[in-house]
Amino acid sequence: MDFELDEDQLELQRVVRDVVERECPPALVRAVVAGDDDGADLWKTLVQLDWPSLTVPADAGGMGLSAIELVVTLEELGRVADPTPFLGTTSQYVPVVRAGAGDGDVRQQLLAEVCAGGTGAVAFAGGSDAVRAHRDPAGRWWLDGTARHVLDGDRADRIAVVADVVADVVADVVADVDGELDAGTVILVVASSDVTATRTPTFDAALHVADVAFDGVGVGRIEVDDDHAFHGPGIDRAVARARDEAVTGLAAVTVGACQRILDLVVAHVKERHQFGVPIGSFQAVQHMAVDVHVAIERARALVHFAALALAEDDDRSSLAASMAKAAAGDAQRIAVRHGIQLFGGLGFTWENDLQLFVRRAKAGELLLGSTAEHRARIARSVLASGPVR
Amino acid sequence: MRLAFDEATEAFRRELGAWLDENAPDPATTTDRSRSSSDIPDWARAWQRKMFDAGWLVPGNPPELGGRNATLIEQFVHREELGRRRVYPSFNPQGLGIVVPSILAYGTEEQERRWAVPILRAEITAALGMSEPDAGSDLAALRTRAVLDGDRFVVNGQKVWTSGAHHADVILTFVRTDPDVPKHKGISVLLVPTDSPGLTRRPFGSMVSPDERDFNEVFFDDVEVPAENLVGELHGGWRVATGSLGHERAMLWLGFAERLDDLVAHGAAALASQGLIDDPVVLDRFGDLVVDAHALRLLGYRTLAKARRGIEATEQSILKLLGSEAVQDATLYILEALGPDGFDPTARTAPHEPLNWDGFTTSWFERYLRSFPGTIAGGTSQIQRNIIAERVLGLPRS
Repeated sequence: MDFELDEDQLELQRVVRDVVERECPPALVRAVVAGDDDGADLWKTLVQLDWPSLTVPADAGGMGLSAIELVVTLEELGRVADPTPFLGTTSQYVPVVRAGAGDGDVRQQLLAEVCAGGTGAVAFAGGSDAVRAHRDPAGRWWLDGTARHVLDGDRADRIAVVADVVADVVADVVADVDGELDAGTVILVVASSDVTATRTPTFDAALHVADVAFDGVGVGRIEVDDDHAFHGPGIDRAVARARDEAVTGLAAVTVGACQRILDLVVAHVKERHQFGVPIGSFQAVQHMAVDVHVAIERARALVHFAALALAEDDDRSSLAASMAKAAAGDAQRIAVRHGIQLFGGLGFTWENDLQLFVRRAKAGELLLGSTAEHRARIARSVLASGPVR
Repeated sequence: MRLAFDEATEAFRRELGAWLDENAPDPATTTDRSRSSSDIPDWARAWQRKMFDAGWLVPGNPPELGGRNATLIEQFVHREELGRRRVYPSFNPQGLGIVVPSILAYGTEEQERRWAVPILRAEITAALGMSEPDAGSDLAALRTRAVLDGDRFVVNGQKVWTSGAHHADVILTFVRTDPDVPKHKGISVLLVPTDSPGLTRRPFGSMVSPDERDFNEVFFDDVEVPAENLVGELHGGWRVATGSLGHERAMLWLGFAERLDDLVAHGAAALASQGLIDDPVVLDRFGDLVVDAHALRLLGYRTLAKARRGIEATEQSILKLLGSEAVQDATLYILEALGPDGFDPTARTAPHEPLNWDGFTTSWFERYLRSFPGTIAGGTSQIQRNIIAERVLGLPRS
């Protein structure tokens, strides 16, 4: 075990921090929230630096780096409450497309789009929040249902859908079409113009969340070319891994937002004087700030562990991703609560930048499974199979 | 970043494992149990001596001091492997972990020969005399007075919480040698044999049981100590104190990590036996415990990785705070989840571990109580937060 970022990773961290602090100041986030800017220039800058293609394999034109470099980058973007589709594209769409077991040429082409600045979103819509898929005898795919709370669902160029294959339809067509096809999961990639996406109001207005209907009025069932469908053996594991990467990426952003809250709070309590002394000299204040710091360190360690497990294709990656998300959830809860409290009235204003990062930190808790859901998942996994070291 | 240690390190681990497989005591010989942190049963003395002779006791030491000049990572793997196998490194933990390193770092060659080597070889045991009735968190306020008189010191005063003193042969005693300078600058350290005339030890029961007598009051009444027993420089004791606690803290987290791993395993068994594993509150709390256990270990690995890169880690206080509080939370969760099934104070919560300290497998109530030394001793959680606030967050001194 060597659990510290290497020199190249630390250098990447420094470069990303430097660039996004300069290119994504609070003023930009405020302009996006106010509708005066769409973050397109920032996105162009990120594309020029090739960062959206960080984990796109080199043979598809990407940087070919691992989930570790991804979380390092995402934490820095969380620190500035990044308003671009970076999180959704890099931690959700790219892993899902990379996971695709379908036609290699199509996959390479989809990934090449990302390298050129294309954006993507993922409707993780299997299971209870199901979008259903079936394939007709002519080999065309059809989708039904609505995926809710899709990050960047309203603005991404492409949407990857993780859908349940409808079993009874499969039974009808399986003999005619494809002996391998079974009920299960399929990844379908569609152009955003083929779906009806409705952006939903979000307290973090720099974040885009949308409901994406695949059977909306006037559209009906949409068709997908079979070349854009990924299915077959290993798809469940591939989807699970992609989801783990998405969960880990969101945890990294949350940790970054929490770190920014703590940075602002620490600067504030050093400056703010009451009773003739900086309030940061009071132990009641210090201990609250320390508890935020410890919660962030705890969460960051687990985010790095999850990324490392993904990078090394380790069996613990799924457990690790849930631990990262749960710990990031713990961190945001205490960072938001203590962060607002320690700023006092001065923090409870629209003008104070604290609110930007409070929103981003809390948004992280509400997506891709709450702390409670991930804790229960972790507990069940350990109680079922024994402790994992 | 890598998940695995390198092959050389794993080879070291295998070599240790093979030696332990071959040499660890037969459980049938371990029925005589330790009564305090300076009481080593005969079988454990023989076992510690065997580890010393084989260079497996303190692998970072040179061979004549029970080691093999192991690297930092190897020292860690040694501790990790002993912990994994539930082999207690020594039944005189403060002797091996604090007193000996203090002598080796600050003492004379004669002190090394006379005291450190016999402690390492389990021929004698040692206690640590730091805390006093009015000097706990504010250790530097200690008042036990030592006056240099020719070739001897004359010591008067009182220590308290001195673990294992009644079974120890020597106490590494922090004394005030100059009362007229700022408190940190007038402290010295003496090796005081417990058979010295005028030295009285009074063990007292812990919260766990009146019969658990590890803590002592130690009274010094004109106790004469040879001047050659001064460890480090006269009035230079604060440096020894911070160094001693540094030794204590360096791998302290691993103990908490092992406790948390135990709590995950023992807690899972207890909850399953009561049919509680589908209770959503239990799942929530148990999930949190698993997260704590992993996070602590990972943060510990991070300090190790930093140390190997020559970066001084600032995380020791974080590890102590997180580890001790997580153990406390976890024992509380499990105790309260069990309801009346947790009542029996004599219940064992895990199978007996013949080579480990018995306190790790007592009843859930007792394990909860035993979590408090973690958050109190060696710098309370509040002191740790002060340290983190000042040294890590850079907040002004309170």
